[in-house]
Amino acid sequence: MTPTEPAARGAAAPTAVRPPLPVKMVIAGGFGVGKTTTVGSISEIRPLTTEAAITEVAAGVDDLSHTPHKTTTTVAMDFGCITIDSTLKLYLFGTPGQDRFGFMWDDLVEGALGGLVIVDTRRLDDCYAAVDYFEHKGIPFAVAVNAFDGRVEHALDEVRWALDIAEQVPVFTYDARERGSVRDALLVVLELALARAQG
Amino acid sequence: MAAGDTPVGEEARPGRPDDPVGRAPAVRPFLVTAGRVAGARSGPPIPVETQVVTTAAGVTALDGLSFEAHDIVALCRQPQSLAEIAAKLRLHLNVVRVLAEDLRSEGHLSVYVPNADLAQDISVLRRVIDGLRTIPDSRGALRDTD
Ligand SMILES: Nc1nc2c(ncn2[C@@H]2O[C@H](COP(=O)(O)OP(=O)(O)O)[C@@H](O)[C@H]2O)c(=O)[nH]1
Ligand SMILES: [Mg+2]
Repeated sequence: MTPTEPAARGAAAPTAVRPPLPVKMVIAGGFGVGKTTTVGSISEIRPLTTEAAITEVAAGVDDLSHTPHKTTTTVAMDFGCITIDSTLKLYLFGTPGQDRFGFMWDDLVEGALGGLVIVDTRRLDDCYAAVDYFEHKGIPFAVAVNAFDGRVEHALDEVRWALDIAEQVPVFTYDARERGSVRDALLVVLELALARAQG
Repeated sequence: MAAGDTPVGEEARPGRPDDPVGRAPAVRPFLVTAGRVAGARSGPPIPVETQVVTTAAGVTALDGLSFEAHDIVALCRQPQSLAEIAAKLRLHLNVVRVLAEDLRSEGHLSVYVPNADLAQDISVLRRVIDGLRTIPDSRGALRDTD
């Protein structure tokens, strides 16, 4: 089986409609940094929102039991998509970057081509968790500073220093409202992913 | 539950912007899935981008299905990701995972789980890169250069 031919589970023959191969990228960052705006700028559908039930990490996850008092929270994630061609579709998932959403992150990020961490330089703290997460998981990622109204409060090397970002991780400014700017930001991540896959 | 109120099928048409879909209400997953939630079973959950397509048997069975099962089978006459099903029918992702698995085992749906190592597949990455490069800058944006 080649990677481009996912197996259909189940005995029933599929209908004539064959779905595209789905791939995904994750757009992460704190609240209000421009995740939904980013997705919406390039998605061919208006971003959809779904809520995933997550188990609070602190509650301790036991896969084998149904503990009625397990603490669950819902977290919203916005997503959109780009049809690359009839056989390949890219999904973009925007998700909050806070620590306590770790459970959902694993669920979401598994198999992602890469991640884009969005930063608002007025609130740098909000993106630590996302940076740590991608680093820890070894997922190719870049840090994109959303230049609200063209203003960036910190120089890029200050951002890199403040977030303690490794040298090989790209840090750049972009505009979440500009499709071309979002496209180029995604391409930076994908080029990293390609270089890593080739390496 | 909102799912029963949501018209399905029409919004699945590709190439047309979907209507905005609000956040799912704080639903009670246990009601819909008879106490089971995905993730409470062994193995990793199927990915959110997993594609789901109604089978010929599912189309035939559609009239006999009700509630969420009906809505999912109707919606997936056009391929949908798990995430799209959840958003459009306002169901929680884990509820959709369980229902999709049930409907698959009943032969109403085909569930295409993407291969886990796609993310490192050079040809897939190249195709995504080449595809993205063809996307033009925003049309109608207030800028007149490139
Ligand atoms: N001026 C300006 N506003 C932006 C920009 N990006 C996002 N916004 C606004 O900031 C707010 C939060 O953006 P949103 O994409 O919803 O953030 P999210 O919480 O990360 O999804 C919204 O009102 C956006 O319209 C930007 O680049 N410039
Ligand atoms: Mg948002």
